[in-house]
Amino acid sequence: MPIVRTQHLEKTFAGADAAAAVPAVRGVDLLVEAAEFLAITGASGSGKSTLLHMIGGITRPTSGRMLLEGVDLATLDDDGLAAVRRRRIGFVFQRYNLLPELTLAENVALPLVLDGVGPAPAEAAARESLEKVGMAHRAAHRPDALSGGEQQRGAIARALVTGPALVLADEPTGALDSTNSARVVELLQRLVADHRQTVILVTHDAVVAAAATRVVRMRDGLVESDTAAGVASR
Amino acid sequence: MRFRTLLLRQWRNRPGRALAAAASVAVAVGAVVATWAAADASRAGYRRLTETVAGVPSIDITARNGGRFDVTQVPRLVDVPGVRAVVPLFYRPTLLRVGERRLREVAVGVDASALAAAGLLTLDSGEPCRESDEVVLDATLAQGLGVGVGDEVLFFARRRVARMRITGLATSESLRWFAEGATAVVDIQVLESMSLSTAEVDRVRIALNADADRPRTLAAVSQRLPQSLAADIPVGRASMAEDVLHSANLGLDFVTALTSAMAWFIVGNAMLMNVAERRRGLSLLRLLGGTGAQVRRLITIEAAVLGGLGATVGAAVGLAAAGPISSGISRALQTPSAALAWHPLLVPGAVLMGVLVAVAAAWWPAREAASIDLLEGVSAAPPAPPGSASRKLLVAAAVLTVVAAVSEAMMYVGVWPPRASVVSGIALLLAFVALTPFLLIPLVRFLSRFIPDRWRVESTLAVEQIVRQPIRTALTAGVLVVAVSNGIGLGHAIRDSVDDVLGWYGKMLRADWVLTQAGALSVAREERAADSRKMEAEVRAVDGVAEVEGIGVATGRVAGSVCVVIARDMPDDRPLPLEPVDATSDQVRAALARGEAVAGTVLAQRIGVKPGDEIVVEVFGRATPVTVAALVVDYTSGGASLVLRRDAARRLLGMETADVVLVTAAAGKAESLQAPLAAIGKNHSMLLRSFGELRRFIDTIVTGVVGSLWSILGLGFVVGSLGVANTVTMSVLEQKRSLGLLRAVGMRRGQVVRMVVLQSVLLGTAGGIVGVVAGLTTALFIQFASQPLLGHPLRMHIRPGIIVANLLAAIAVTALAAWFPARRAVRLDLLEAISSE
Repeated sequence: MPIVRTQHLEKTFAGADAAAAVPAVRGVDLLVEAAEFLAITGASGSGKSTLLHMIGGITRPTSGRMLLEGVDLATLDDDGLAAVRRRRIGFVFQRYNLLPELTLAENVALPLVLDGVGPAPAEAAARESLEKVGMAHRAAHRPDALSGGEQQRGAIARALVTGPALVLADEPTGALDSTNSARVVELLQRLVADHRQTVILVTHDAVVAAAATRVVRMRDGLVESDTAAGVASR
Repeated sequence: MRFRTLLLRQWRNRPGRALAAAASVAVAVGAVVATWAAADASRAGYRRLTETVAGVPSIDITARNGGRFDVTQVPRLVDVPGVRAVVPLFYRPTLLRVGERRLREVAVGVDASALAAAGLLTLDSGEPCRESDEVVLDATLAQGLGVGVGDEVLFFARRRVARMRITGLATSESLRWFAEGATAVVDIQVLESMSLSTAEVDRVRIALNADADRPRTLAAVSQRLPQSLAADIPVGRASMAEDVLHSANLGLDFVTALTSAMAWFIVGNAMLMNVAERRRGLSLLRLLGGTGAQVRRLITIEAAVLGGLGATVGAAVGLAAAGPISSGISRALQTPSAALAWHPLLVPGAVLMGVLVAVAAAWWPAREAASIDLLEGVSAAPPAPPGSASRKLLVAAAVLTVVAAVSEAMMYVGVWPPRASVVSGIALLLAFVALTPFLLIPLVRFLSRFIPDRWRVESTLAVEQIVRQPIRTALTAGVLVVAVSNGIGLGHAIRDSVDDVLGWYGKMLRADWVLTQAGALSVAREERAADSRKMEAEVRAVDGVAEVEGIGVATGRVAGSVCVVIARDMPDDRPLPLEPVDATSDQVRAALARGEAVAGTVLAQRIGVKPGDEIVVEVFGRATPVTVAALVVDYTSGGASLVLRRDAARRLLGMETADVVLVTAAAGKAESLQAPLAAIGKNHSMLLRSFGELRRFIDTIVTGVVGSLWSILGLGFVVGSLGVANTVTMSVLEQKRSLGLLRAVGMRRGQVVRMVVLQSVLLGTAGGIVGVVAGLTTALFIQFASQPLLGHPLRMHIRPGIIVANLLAAIAVTALAAWFPARRAVRLDLLEAISSE
């Protein structure tokens, strides 16, 4: 069963009137299998981030269907969607989005805490996740004491802590230097290779996109090309 | 980590925000506790003041056809709710002889022991009279006569002359309630027997408990009486005090309700800002899989904990402040300071109330946060202001205005009590708050034009900050509007009410000396008429007397309603001592000369009479048709009065006696009149009082009442200021990142501070202007609400002093409240300021 299946997915942002409405995604069909590393690229405003948000259940589509592990997200209510985001999806953002008042370990444990997991198992899982990204030694530090690269690795640890089937990363290297970018990309690759997790990454960076096993290029809300690494469009 | 750790960490990370939210609850609970305690002290003071001036609140039972009646007709009434004691009264004119001195006095027959036991007769010395040869005398009279307890007086009654022993001396204050000018108290059966009368009484006076609902008790008593008896609230008994106190009580209701509303608004505001500032973090929680319920729970728990902490501190501060405030009010009212009621549930109740209000105040922001846009947490751009809020606010303003108007109308037509105006006042105020966001931005842009050019950069940025943060701006301005409106509305209402009463008294009491009847009104009318004529002639003959105006007062009935009939000399060369409504003084004077009457506004409203109507007046058992020429503002008997020229009253109603005589002295002769007038008064059972003495008496009441209202209003001002300061502080803290960015791009510290202060001053001025409009409208509502109470609308005067003082206070408080946190914010390390989320 594919992890992600979108069927003619559309998203239009309403304006003051019908003429001012902005179509961001215009009928995207996509199939993503387990253990794929998919990069979505495209110019600003091409609809790549909106597509990612719809896949992650952050934004509801205007029309079309989005199936995660065979479940149509449109059939879920707000709490159902929250549960899916908590258990089946891990998010990584460009601005790291760690809560400044929590330590790195606490930030990582947060999705588990929200899921009702007790403090001790949540802490152990957070530590394990931090070890995976090489950040266990910074577990007790607060985000403002960490570098950008360290914060992003912490954010990846948070995305992994619940063992999600799908990791969604929106410009995860956008705020990082090349060394840190490379480390983040390597981490994501390891997720796919070692843990058979699926990663969908949105990026501008051709170097980062090249690390993916498949690249989808978007333009004006449509898929312009869909290329497996070194393979023709499918 | 547990979920609640997140809260603790957030508080530790931003202690200022949490403290400000808790402080708002502390201020609110403290304000409510202190205001309620102060209002309680004021109400208790008002009650004691009324009792001092007018005696214990009471209801009178009299014969429907006038004259005495058999006391056995009165059913058992002591079990009626609100009844404190039932006191049959029997009056009898008498002659007292002490040695060679003879005095014409009035004796009252009562059960003196029972009265003393009920606390309605207070003795300076001795004990109540019980036996047939015992009497209690007015302590002042006894002092004048040089007699005391144990001495004997000769008591001349219709049947016999009795030698009676003085067993006690009663204070004049306690006699005032039941004696109606009588100075000798005798056992009722003894006095009846001496007067050849059995079981007959002039009236039965019912003393009410201080907290009794007088109209309700009156209805219950009336229901039990036989047809031949009528129960009424006594009229003409120092009603000025009651009138002032009616208005003052309404003012007190307004002050308490608006201060409480303002306090709770501040809490709501703080909770809203507290959540609004964390939208990003809350959105991230939702994005990471937190449910709406979890976010709601987080905010509700936070509100409960901060509310509990704040309320505990607030209750303690409020209780600590309540003592001195209550004592101050009692001093202002010149009444003994009552012990504060320390109910064991007061503190837990106040804390629980704080928690509940904080939780209730957090309900809406929690609901909003639970449905927050998930992209807000990851977006780099600040969220767009909510578009639908404006329509919701307009709808809310419209609904609140309708509620205010309907409530005011219901009260005006008498369906709802005057207290309903408190509801309409608060609804109207909230309507203004809802409208504030629409008025604010244009006002701020307009006001920014007056900022000097050298501060152009700062003012432009300040205006942008205000415009770009509509929610924060509206919330801060909302508190300002409430605070300023409270001060202006109540300030105007208090001043206008007082001016109304004093203005009327200025017209009514224009004399150097006042002689008042010291006998019971219903006693020996025929005898007193002749005596009164003689007395007036004697007064006119005194050298130095320029003008004598006699006023006769009688209790009458019009259309089944009790009223005071006033017969007054109205010399053509003196201004009309009345304030006509919708008629000129000349028209009223001409109508009175024709033998027509003018009705007090309250009486007119009560019986539904209009100018031109003919009514039948019952006085002294005779019914006479009289035409009502106009309505007048009158505080005698709460405005339930009918006024005629004295010659007309004499002719139509048989009112001969002058119960009050106003004496105006020729220039420079006022002092010399005291001795001859006192002597005439003594011979004719009249008490002499100087105008200054009366004026001081009125001033005491008015100053005390006004002082108490200003005290509570002052408390409201402090609460408003704290609320504004708290809100502005939160607002500046919220801008820490922006201020850091401004510093980073090269703005000097002074410039940043100036920008923040300018932003606050603009907001303070704009909010203050809206508050002025809201305050004046509130004042208008309060004065409109006085109509059913006083029978006429109070004339509203715009008072620039009150307006400017409130506006300046609002600007000063906002400027200061912004200056301190802004100075702190710009001293922060730039990196720290920029990195603060």
